[in-house]
Amino acid sequence: MSRLDFNCRHRFSSGFEIDLAFEATGLVTALFGPSGSGKTSVLGMIAGWLTPQFGRIRLGSRWLDDSPAGIHLPTERRQVGMVFQDHWLFPHMSVEANLGYGQRRRGSGPPIRFERVVEVLELGDRLSRYPGSLSGGERQRVALGRALLSNPELLLMDEPLAALDEALKLRILAYLERVVTEWNIPTLFVSHGQAEVRRFAQRVVVMERGRAVAEGTPEEALGQPTPLGWTHSAGPVNLLRIDGARLRGDQWVGRLGGQEMKLPAVHGSPSHPLFVQFRPSDVTLSLEDVRGLSTRNHFRGVVSRMLELAGGFFVAVDVGQTLWAEVTPAAVRDLGLKSGSKVTCLIKTRSLEVVG
Amino acid sequence: MEYSAAEWSAIHNSLRVGLFVVLVSLPPGVCLGYVLARHRFPGKWLVEVAVNLALVVPPVVTGYLLLQVFKPAAPVGGFLDRGLGLRVAFEFPGLVVAAAVMSFPLMVRAIRLGFQSVDPNLETAARTLGAGWWRTFFTVSLPLARNGVIAGCVLAYARSLGEFGATVMLASQREGNRTIPLLIYTLKDRPDGLASIWPLVAVSLLLAAGALVASEYLERKGLRHESA
Repeated sequence: MSRLDFNCRHRFSSGFEIDLAFEATGLVTALFGPSGSGKTSVLGMIAGWLTPQFGRIRLGSRWLDDSPAGIHLPTERRQVGMVFQDHWLFPHMSVEANLGYGQRRRGSGPPIRFERVVEVLELGDRLSRYPGSLSGGERQRVALGRALLSNPELLLMDEPLAALDEALKLRILAYLERVVTEWNIPTLFVSHGQAEVRRFAQRVVVMERGRAVAEGTPEEALGQPTPLGWTHSAGPVNLLRIDGARLRGDQWVGRLGGQEMKLPAVHGSPSHPLFVQFRPSDVTLSLEDVRGLSTRNHFRGVVSRMLELAGGFFVAVDVGQTLWAEVTPAAVRDLGLKSGSKVTCLIKTRSLEVVG
Repeated sequence: MEYSAAEWSAIHNSLRVGLFVVLVSLPPGVCLGYVLARHRFPGKWLVEVAVNLALVVPPVVTGYLLLQVFKPAAPVGGFLDRGLGLRVAFEFPGLVVAAAVMSFPLMVRAIRLGFQSVDPNLETAARTLGAGWWRTFFTVSLPLARNGVIAGCVLAYARSLGEFGATVMLASQREGNRTIPLLIYTLKDRPDGLASIWPLVAVSLLLAAGALVASEYLERKGLRHESA
């Protein structure tokens, strides 16, 4: 599998500077960060339409950029497929012509067949249509298929879901997963949505102001307080992975770490892990295991970190994954909370939101 | 309406001039329109001034300057005449040159707007799909700028049909080498001339309206295609 080595520095005339080095080793790597952190510029450098002042970019054994050696491959020779936020389909060509535009059979892997792409992306009855008459989700599927059929060694996706509404996001994300696993194409995926990053990426590079501030698995990289872009939002969000969701009697349940979580109704039959989202302020902390409460979810864990933010405390509890609770300074004092405290987290099932 | 041989010849000449002007101007017009729409370079303003000069200089003055360049005694005119056997001044090519120079700014302007309306991101998308510059240009940029190109051709054609000021300097007042405007001007001073001009006026109006209808039709055809 191709492996991407990226090491570039570039100062824009506005003064904004990108100084970033990372490796993309797994199948799906996410570049995560707030807007304006330079994520799209990084994709531009990899795709070759932005030439960094200093840059060394290697894809597999090929140098795409090596500014000390004077190497800068033009975009069309990089074999890097790109899916843009606004899809950029050719409006004067049919879906079929769009899909076929970059079709080529090169490289080592098995060829990506036109018929198979159409089948996987369910575009069979749309081939003679024009982009102007397609829905947003259909356009994004065509853009994905078009990039795939150019047989890229690396797929770049620039916020491919950002222009879609929530329900559509999940469906397109399912297509993305299908495509990436079927053809095993290394993918670099730019996003500022935590849910999609956690679900889709094996590795995350968190960017802020042109630099990497954290790197690792989604759990590692997004579990850290500084890089989360909390200054841009209200604080950490809880987005936990639930395995093995199933219906038991009339109650949906799933596993969070080794503990059981009672879930609100799940639509359809989940074939992959689910994510549940809830606010840290919806979590109650208790030093003892309490009984006789209507609150259905009790998770035992250990406080791993405490953060004072905007007059409140965010307490990270390790329950197998990191779960954040927001409490008042007075509560921290009264309970004597500190790193290493054993606590039980109480969460009402009603405050959970299943996000696919 | 009955048309005399002189009138037929003028109509024929006018149509041919328009056609030649479009054919001759289109390649440089497309190149220049693209460059002006897509690129920034030192001295760009100078190019723009040069292209648009013919819009503001009095046509007769432009015609005079062209005559100085293309008359057989001048170096350029002499070279074309003796070297290539192409006589410009006072002959049919002179009608084309005068009309082409006068209509070129209009053509470039329309084509440039056409290219400006094409989102550069679409060109980037084509490049990521492995298309080089030429393929991107001919399959994405040019087809999407098509309406501007069509508009440029129609404007140039229509402007050529009406060209008089520069043409009258560069063309001879010789039977058989007149366009419709030149013939109208000639007829005007004859006894009962004003009445005899009517058929030519009618043809002029028809040609102008026809050009507009044609461009409208082509444009709509293109639009329908894209939103189908």
